[in-house]
Amino acid sequence: MSEQPIIRRRVVKTGISDSRTNNAKTQSQYQPYKDAAWGFINHWYPALFSHELAEDQVEGIQICGVPIVLRRVNGKVYALKDQCLHRGVRLSEKPMCFNKSTITCWYHGFTFDLESGELVTIVANPDDKLIGTTGLTSYPIHEVNGMIFVFVREDDYPDADVPPLADDLPFRFPENSEIFPHPLWPASPSVLDDNAMNLGMHRTGYGNWRIACENGFDNAHILVHKDNTIVHAMDWVLPLGLLPTADDCIAVVENDTGPKGLMQWMFTDKWKPVMENKVLDLKVEGLKGRFYRTSVVLPGVLMVENWPQEHMTQYEWYVPITDDTHEYWEVLVRVCNTEEEREKNQHRFNVVYKPLCLHGFNDCDLYAREAMQNFYTDGTGWDDEQLVSTDVSPITWRKLASRWNRGIAKPGRGVAGSVKDTSLIFKDTADGHRPGYQVRKIPEE
Amino acid sequence: MNNSMRQVTPNFSDDATRGLSVVPNTHVLDAMTEQEMPIVSEPKRQVTLNFSDGETRVFSVAPGENILDAALEQDMPVLFQCRSGSCSSCICTLKDGDANTLAGASSTLLPSEYGAGQRLLCVSQAETDCSFELPYSSEVGSNAAHEVNVFIDSIERIAINAVRLTVELADDEWMDFRPGQFMQIAVPGVGVVRSYSPSSTQKTLPKMEFLIRLLPDGVMSKYLEEVAAADDVLTLTGPYGAFFLREEHRRSPHIFVAGGTGLSPILSMIDTLHQSSGRKPPMLLSFGSAHAETLFALEDIQLREQWLPTLEARICASNGAVEGQHPGNPVSALRDDDVKDPNTVAYLCGPQPMIDAATSRLLELGVKAENIFAEHFVASN
Repeated sequence: MSEQPIIRRRVVKTGISDSRTNNAKTQSQYQPYKDAAWGFINHWYPALFSHELAEDQVEGIQICGVPIVLRRVNGKVYALKDQCLHRGVRLSEKPMCFNKSTITCWYHGFTFDLESGELVTIVANPDDKLIGTTGLTSYPIHEVNGMIFVFVREDDYPDADVPPLADDLPFRFPENSEIFPHPLWPASPSVLDDNAMNLGMHRTGYGNWRIACENGFDNAHILVHKDNTIVHAMDWVLPLGLLPTADDCIAVVENDTGPKGLMQWMFTDKWKPVMENKVLDLKVEGLKGRFYRTSVVLPGVLMVENWPQEHMTQYEWYVPITDDTHEYWEVLVRVCNTEEEREKNQHRFNVVYKPLCLHGFNDCDLYAREAMQNFYTDGTGWDDEQLVSTDVSPITWRKLASRWNRGIAKPGRGVAGSVKDTSLIFKDTADGHRPGYQVRKIPEE
Repeated sequence: MNNSMRQVTPNFSDDATRGLSVVPNTHVLDAMTEQEMPIVSEPKRQVTLNFSDGETRVFSVAPGENILDAALEQDMPVLFQCRSGSCSSCICTLKDGDANTLAGASSTLLPSEYGAGQRLLCVSQAETDCSFELPYSSEVGSNAAHEVNVFIDSIERIAINAVRLTVELADDEWMDFRPGQFMQIAVPGVGVVRSYSPSSTQKTLPKMEFLIRLLPDGVMSKYLEEVAAADDVLTLTGPYGAFFLREEHRRSPHIFVAGGTGLSPILSMIDTLHQSSGRKPPMLLSFGSAHAETLFALEDIQLREQWLPTLEARICASNGAVEGQHPGNPVSALRDDDVKDPNTVAYLCGPQPMIDAATSRLLELGVKAENIFAEHFVASN
């Protein structure tokens, strides 16, 4: 018996997935959503605007804990895992390309085929056995109307199962005008429409992607916009909030093909706008009705129809980078059929929409989401939150996202943000660089 | 009663145990009988691997052939990584015979280490028959059965005659398993083991969950009901069994037929399919019990239906079925149009009569015999 080794219990780590046992009592219908701190994988996400990746340019990004390197060759964009299989270096940190069909790791010369990701040679070791037997995961790309989308997948996700981009984008109009009528505004343009101009911006938000995502279609959150400049300058009537008045206030879309998501019947009798609060002696003023409608589809794409003007749609993505950072995308879509229309739209974007809407209006959303982050960051917020009737929207979203996601991203391994207290983070912060979405290149001498 | 704490034979007389027999570790014979005929004129060398757990494996390698390549081809449980003489994962010590570095290869071994007999298998060739000592056990490089300790997290009564046992692997211990496989749990203080399949998956490790049927006077049942408490330590051996989810059929429609706690391995399979990458196959689960009141885990099944759009569950009770349940057994719940695809694969787990009935019904519906996998519980006393 003296040789009996000591048996110890594991040290309990914090975090949702670690602490839960697979038992029905602690699970809910949206447990998979609670588990998706690092995002839903095997979905299409925006990677960069087209103008951010010129011919021959190489850029690195991170989505769902997956580092991805993008290179444009002869106009076509390629994407591979941005983590050399040899020692894990990010290829994008110091781009090295010797020809049009490959990308080479700048450290030891491991060279990968852009299309397939296969290891085709090693610069100083061309006969190594490893060549031809392994490679980097490749990611399908779809570039449309000024945006580059990437299908972020698990290493073993089959090519044959990659769905069309449209399956991960909001409902389109006029195709859905019958199902979702819009008597108060014209058919909303889509990112995919012919001649659609997709103007916008993306920046890093410091919080979990789910917290960010749930803000946009939460009908009680519009209080944060009460005193935004554009609301007052335009004399818009923006209610204090919208209250659900019917069981069918939200339509859930789960067709076999196409996007999976929810549409809210706003500005119908299913949601009541709240214009005053007598207890607080608050009343909404303003003259011009500002009708809009929000919907959300997997993997977390917000559409605000008829916003901020007629014939325009605002799209938003909250692309998970890590479990506590996301890339916040705001895109304003407008179909412009002539060069004159394009120029006019670009000018109006520069002088009105970008400063007053994407910044002035949506900056409030950004800080409101960050204000929620501490409550949810250790996992306790999901259990302690006290929800009210207007939260029907986020709860419906959590349930349908739990059911229709194509995979839950595993916590990042060997990537930026998988460990939160490394000296590199402190060094970068001290040097004035926030944790972010895009790889900073090693400066050339 | 046998007093040994470590019994290897998996069949026992009471509780819900398995009827499947397992012959442990006979790979030595396999390797020798499956030896291929040498193509070159020079005879092959025989290489013996001695693992730290006392296991011995023998395989053959041609002159000038890479020893690691030959070992892997013949399913030897050896560790390796770089395959180029650098990382030293495949390090071992030459005990008998002659083995040296392949022409043109280099190794990171120091001359003194080489002189002491150390070799890297990935850059070595056998000059003669030879034997090596490996610094790790044969279980490390394979999924072979081994013993681990677990701590009890909870024991929850989920039906009149069933409990849910959740455990956690002890610090520094690990056990990989395939969904559907089973482990033997030693009943503390009694000296016998019982076999159970986890309902949890590889992904929830180090936590594991078992659905266990309680039998009057069963030793494990008695232990779980009267003695066991949170933080008690149990000894598990495994994994065992050839009843596991077949990766090669992952994309075909699945039919699961489960009786009683036969649901346990089936839940592990369904969750594994859920967690796997790519499009999920259509799944039909037919689960039943003799009496509606002995059904359990219905909430777990409901949740999985919510999470998995491609899963349909039929809950069956031969007696006392309530609305929404099928009045009958899980085999009679199968319908004529349940098999639309000739590649449909079926997994059956429960009492032998259920398996027999399900097998003939599924064959009748057009499922190929080779696509029906079954394991039965022996619930005797």
